[in-house]
Amino acid sequence: MIRKLQRKTMEPIQLVGYAITLLVGATIALLAVQIWRDIRPVLTEQTDVFKAHTVTVSKNITMFKTADKEKIYFGEKELEKLRAQEFVKDVAPFGSASFAASAAISFNGQKLSTDLFFESVPDEYLDVKSEDWVWDSANGFLPIVIPEDYLSLYNFGFAESQSLPVVSEAMLSQVTFNIYVSGNGRHQVYNSRIVGLSGKINSILVPESFLQWANVEFGTGGKERSSRLLVEFADATDERIPQYFEATGLNINQNELEASKLTFFFKLAMLFVVVTALIIVVLSAVLIIMSMNLIVHKNRSLFVNLYNIGYTPAQIARYYHRVISGVTVVVVAMAALLSAWVRHLYVGRLDTVFHIEGGPVSLWVSALLLLLVLLVIYNIFIARIIKSN
Amino acid sequence: MSESEVSGSDIYMQSLVRFEQGMQYMVSAKSGHGKSSLLNFIYGISNAYVGDIAIREDGGGVVLQSSRDFKVRQMSYMFQDLCLFPELTALENVQLKNRLTDFKSESEIESMLMALLPSEKLNQPVATLSLGQRQRVAAVRSLCQPFRFLLLDEPFSHVDNENAHRMASLVAGEVERQHAGLIVTALDPVDQFEFDKVMNL
Repeated sequence: MIRKLQRKTMEPIQLVGYAITLLVGATIALLAVQIWRDIRPVLTEQTDVFKAHTVTVSKNITMFKTADKEKIYFGEKELEKLRAQEFVKDVAPFGSASFAASAAISFNGQKLSTDLFFESVPDEYLDVKSEDWVWDSANGFLPIVIPEDYLSLYNFGFAESQSLPVVSEAMLSQVTFNIYVSGNGRHQVYNSRIVGLSGKINSILVPESFLQWANVEFGTGGKERSSRLLVEFADATDERIPQYFEATGLNINQNELEASKLTFFFKLAMLFVVVTALIIVVLSAVLIIMSMNLIVHKNRSLFVNLYNIGYTPAQIARYYHRVISGVTVVVVAMAALLSAWVRHLYVGRLDTVFHIEGGPVSLWVSALLLLLVLLVIYNIFIARIIKSN
Repeated sequence: MSESEVSGSDIYMQSLVRFEQGMQYMVSAKSGHGKSSLLNFIYGISNAYVGDIAIREDGGGVVLQSSRDFKVRQMSYMFQDLCLFPELTALENVQLKNRLTDFKSESEIESMLMALLPSEKLNQPVATLSLGQRQRVAAVRSLCQPFRFLLLDEPFSHVDNENAHRMASLVAGEVERQHAGLIVTALDPVDQFEFDKVMNL
């Protein structure tokens, strides 16, 4: 009976307006959240192939620095400052050799030899996993890692132009040669072999333990300095990374930061979409609450009469509460289904490019959360509006 | 109101006025002297007065006017402006009230209404009834709940004498059954009830 009285007070247009606004806002918000959850791992994954949170950092070589070479080294203060950055997890300077080294190989009775330099990085940053990557002073074997690019340069550049045979990585790792190390009035010969190719570190590497030992044994005794650093990020997609390196003038492989730039713009775009969608949702809630206010003002005598004959504000509010909550549940469910359907479409499209794992869990969770928040708001507001009149 | 207006009042400006449960009171005053206001104060829907109103429980405790069931189980009020819902029928108006406590059965409601109204009026919207008929509907509605006090605000103002007697006997019967108190306001003397006390406002 109270329903018969109150049904006429609600105009369908108010509910329809609310439903449409909420549907639009909720669908966009839910979809944006789901896209964010789906695409983000893909962006992070691309940089995460192998310790991809690590990049090589050096100083820009400029005209002035050519003249004054000291400026290309990193000082203690600079290292501290870099370590203090929130997005930096660890900084490891390259170790460099302070002694002379050369490699020699006997080939068809001919002896070929070349001067070399060595650097080292902590083992955990090396993207080569080899059982031979150990330095043991007893057996005199020195493993070496060279950049992948060197082999490519030879195979596709040098071998091509000189009509020499191409070499595979497996072949290369079977060639043994001698390494001559000298300095400090001493010299030593080691057996050596290339145990792996690094795709990330652009240098000729020996185990760190060897370099430290050899710098003492053959080195000139000068202070060890680093011109290159390995920087490990907590999250390589952090958008502060490119900003920081841009500002400090440090040189960083730009490709390494593509992902973080992409993530930055993606995040920005998604944030914009989510905020816009949430504003629409908030507006829809404001719309229905204002409609409720209007209903109360237009039907004041009805509400006062009901109150006077003993109906509590909660009892008077119940009908509106039920209708609005019902519409909200239906609309949010529709929005969730609609978003799930759109997700189904884009997952199908994107499946050829990259694999998206799992179901639209975030979508359901967000929908429930949104529903809960809206229902709580209405629970508070509708009774309060009626009480205050 | 000015002090001179209330100087002869048995209620206003008095240090203590008691209405006892089980007694029947008549409060008479001229138009505009605050009969409805007094009942509104007692019913708790207006607080534009200075002083205290305490409603005692049987055990001696105080019932708050703001308590949830005050208007549903403690006090019943037939408003001067009736507070009926014009778009509902006479029967529905009474049912709407009765549903709060399910105090009366459907047949009881119908027989009470039939005692005061032509039967064809029961299912007509209240908007189509005369003022006197509406007053009778409001009177029946006020009886469809448990109460310790029944407040009737000028209940017979638009009812002829014969109908007033019928209304009064219906009301008196219910008040008797519930051992309730009765407060009736009117402009002129009312002879349909046997009042224990007549007060001037």
